[in-house]
Amino acid sequence: MAEIIIDDKKFEFEEVGKVLQFILDNGMDLPFFCYHPSLSIPANCRQCFIEAGQMVKDRESGEYELDEDGNPVIRWFPKLMTACSLDMADGMVIKTHVTSEKVKVAQADTLELILINHPLDCPICDQAGECPLQIQTYKYGPEGSRFEHKKVHKPKRIQLGPRVILDAERCINCTRCVRFTDEVSKTHQLSIVSRGDKNYPITAEGQVFDDPYSLNTVDICPVGALTSADFRFKARVWEMNQTPSIDVTNGKGVNIDLWTRDNLVMRITPRFNKEVNDHWMPDIGREAYRLFNENRVSKPIIKLDGDQVRSSWNNAFMTVSEKISSVKSDEILLIGSPYASLEDNYAFQNWFNRLGVSDVYFTPHIEKGYGDDLLLVDDHAPNTNGCKALGFKEVDAKKMAKLLSDESYKAVFILGDDLLSRVDIDDSALESKYLVSFATNHTETTKKSDLVIPITSSAEHIGSYINVDERIQRTIPAKETMYTNRKLDLEMSMGRLDHFGTKFDNWVSDKNRVDCIPAWEVLVRIGNEMNLEFNFASPQDVLEDITDKIPALENVSYDRMDKENGIALKLSAPKSVTT
Amino acid sequence: MNIDWKNYKPILIPAIKDLHKIDVYEKNGGYKALKKVLSGKSKMTPEEVVNEVKDANIRGRGGAGFNAGLKWSFMPKPDGGPRYLACNGDESEPGTFKDRKIFEYNPHSFIEGAIIAAYAMQIQTIYVYIRGEYRDFIDMMDVAISDAYKKGYLGKDILKSGFSVDMYTHMGAGAYICGEESSLMNSLEGKRGYPRVKPPFPAQKGLWGRPTTINNIETLANVPLVINNGAKWFKGIGAETHPGPVLYGISGHVNRPGVYEYPTGMLLTDLINEVAGGVPGGKKVKAVVPGGSSTPPLRGDSLDGVRMDADSLREAGSMMGTAGICVVDETVDMVDFTWRISGFYHHESCGQCTPCRDGTGWLEKTLDKIRRGDGEMRDIDLLYEICTKMEGRTICALADAAAWPVRYALDRFREDFEARCKKTVYALA
Repeated sequence: MAEIIIDDKKFEFEEVGKVLQFILDNGMDLPFFCYHPSLSIPANCRQCFIEAGQMVKDRESGEYELDEDGNPVIRWFPKLMTACSLDMADGMVIKTHVTSEKVKVAQADTLELILINHPLDCPICDQAGECPLQIQTYKYGPEGSRFEHKKVHKPKRIQLGPRVILDAERCINCTRCVRFTDEVSKTHQLSIVSRGDKNYPITAEGQVFDDPYSLNTVDICPVGALTSADFRFKARVWEMNQTPSIDVTNGKGVNIDLWTRDNLVMRITPRFNKEVNDHWMPDIGREAYRLFNENRVSKPIIKLDGDQVRSSWNNAFMTVSEKISSVKSDEILLIGSPYASLEDNYAFQNWFNRLGVSDVYFTPHIEKGYGDDLLLVDDHAPNTNGCKALGFKEVDAKKMAKLLSDESYKAVFILGDDLLSRVDIDDSALESKYLVSFATNHTETTKKSDLVIPITSSAEHIGSYINVDERIQRTIPAKETMYTNRKLDLEMSMGRLDHFGTKFDNWVSDKNRVDCIPAWEVLVRIGNEMNLEFNFASPQDVLEDITDKIPALENVSYDRMDKENGIALKLSAPKSVTT
Repeated sequence: MNIDWKNYKPILIPAIKDLHKIDVYEKNGGYKALKKVLSGKSKMTPEEVVNEVKDANIRGRGGAGFNAGLKWSFMPKPDGGPRYLACNGDESEPGTFKDRKIFEYNPHSFIEGAIIAAYAMQIQTIYVYIRGEYRDFIDMMDVAISDAYKKGYLGKDILKSGFSVDMYTHMGAGAYICGEESSLMNSLEGKRGYPRVKPPFPAQKGLWGRPTTINNIETLANVPLVINNGAKWFKGIGAETHPGPVLYGISGHVNRPGVYEYPTGMLLTDLINEVAGGVPGGKKVKAVVPGGSSTPPLRGDSLDGVRMDADSLREAGSMMGTAGICVVDETVDMVDFTWRISGFYHHESCGQCTPCRDGTGWLEKTLDKIRRGDGEMRDIDLLYEICTKMEGRTICALADAAAWPVRYALDRFREDFEARCKKTVYALA
């Protein structure tokens, strides 16, 4: 196998890649700015300098030549090389800043040069705390600057588009954003203008940076030159906790991080998953953070004399159990949801199965032509395949309207879905029925419901979702509800604050907690009321029950989903599950 | 080595009236080389042409001085796909103004050379990249090219040899960096003029990812001379290791500035004192920049025996570059001179690589500080350090081109810098 020596350590490799990527893959550090694994390599920041050489091979014997001391003869490249653009080769010798003083000096030199025209306004810069320039300057940079002249001034606070703001002075011209619009989103909206130390990226005159993936440029910007118009100045990076999760606004199941503070989701950023979304996510998915914070249903809502009023949980549970006892099992219509997690859907199905109701219907939320070539698909819901895997009966909006206006149904249960906004149905048709909806947010459906039971959103519970490519992935609770506690729930994220925060940190806050319960738990509690043998203690229990019953989901577990970044399933024509 | 330059008759730009017209050019032996290569008994294979040019050792006149024939031989074997020849007429280095003379007075020698080069490398498309400020010369080139098409020297089936080639002019838009071969290619492709990372080299992946050779205009104008008279004859002109005629562009403090054609290996003192008529007012020469602003300046008192060829100039501590000689007399303060050159590179840095983008500005601003009389001794050390931070650390050679004039001016004219720095008065409290 081919060998490469990095800082006197020998490594073996099979595939010829770039030296920088190999160094990073093997857990070593090298500073860089312009390089991005999913973009082309311009080698323009000149930060990842290394010394590179080649061990000399004797042509006849094929052995490495040795000098008098028995050390291999190395032919060094005359100049420092950029590791990002250097191809690996058998017998290559690399010296990084760890072993080479020359490299160390060169890296500090480049940083000093980058910083001479950088405004150094970290205290008011949004990027501070997660800024590669800041981090690498602390690690590898010079102690101060010897530049004592006027810095170059460039445009500031330029609204490039609806979502992105440019501060050209902070820009270090790595061209990542330009390459992103050229190579990934292919809108070619950004370009570098002007020359030398006056250049910066901007759109063509009069053009708006309305790329549907524009916020990715904010993520990959190694400084605070591009910032999010929405998130700007709202929170410092170190005040937030970062929790891995799944995008629930699209069927693609983009892997994301939820950034929370005071039980509010402040922003959403993509999380790398090569199989799903690489490093990117659509802007539309990021705006979904509002769904977790605003317009939430908190405490059950019950309709009394035509008015919706808040009620206690006990009252809600009693009402449900009374209602169910008053109707026959074939008078109950069950509607599952492609928006709810696999666990919730399964618990819903399983619970009513025990009462003798076997059919669960659902209506996918598919909008033809909504998707694009990159990450958006036509399916708006994150778990359509989950409903299919559970054997729910798929009906389109028209058929659903027919079902809902069917006089033989006396009670309708809708799980976590704004179904009525998608189904064209007269209010009068619903009047004769008792409508119970399990909901996270106030919607058209909750407005028309006789009883609304608040359930947790994907930011508050553990739940699995099967995306359009039949990949099962799960969420982890990122914010507290009235009934969960960050410190006690081991599943909740372990961010910097979880490890090092004090009780005086504002992240341990009672503010903004929503009074809601996971759907499966709601059903357990009503089941207790009705003496049903329905005893799940955690989503883990629910998932285990699912994996036991559905062959396609065999061996699926949270551990595996976490370790493997989601599991690709093979869902062959699912049969109706009887429990 | 003794060059009988006084009896030298120009061959690149001979003194013939209306030579830019194709009929006059043909009457004076024009396109003979092309006919020799493409038709008749003397017909040469592409390899033979490459070898002849390689043997003649035409060293690139664009600055790097690389053997043109050797460069041609790097082109891979034709695979049926497109291949390109890009002719570099961007000439934006301060002190360089030679290619314009070819465009103006003898465009067909260049066109003929380019067609032969294209034949030698089996190329079907030639781009002539000319700096945008040469508007008039671009128009003249377009006329010359259309004349060549009419006569059948360009286009399909040239001289019934089965070989076809097209030639297009392309106008630059005022960027010095587009004279660098890889950013010239980006500019030709319609992209921003950023130099490309090497490898891959242009011969492997050039214009639109296809094999490409980039040659200077003057280099190609030498090719018909080699074909007509043979490599041996060509090698007999001028310096042994750097043969051929050269267009010397002499500017600065001389009585007769201009472009002069003489063999390589001329004594610098001859060029300044005799060809260009010496320094006005009989003043002393303080400094000479021998090959365009990026080449290290030489001291006026160290010019004895320095010849204009690569070897002699390397020994003297400079380079041949584009043979654009700039003479500076004793009235000039080298701080001002260096600052002005530094300002040019600051303005022209493309901004791609960090060391050049920010280093050029820092150099200019520090030199400006010294120039204004605020300099301190430590600024001299700082200038050296900035140069070290830039040299050899960028994608193209512009950072070197910007750093060398400063470094060598400091080395060779330190007294000027110290004089300015020592004048600075500081308050003690």
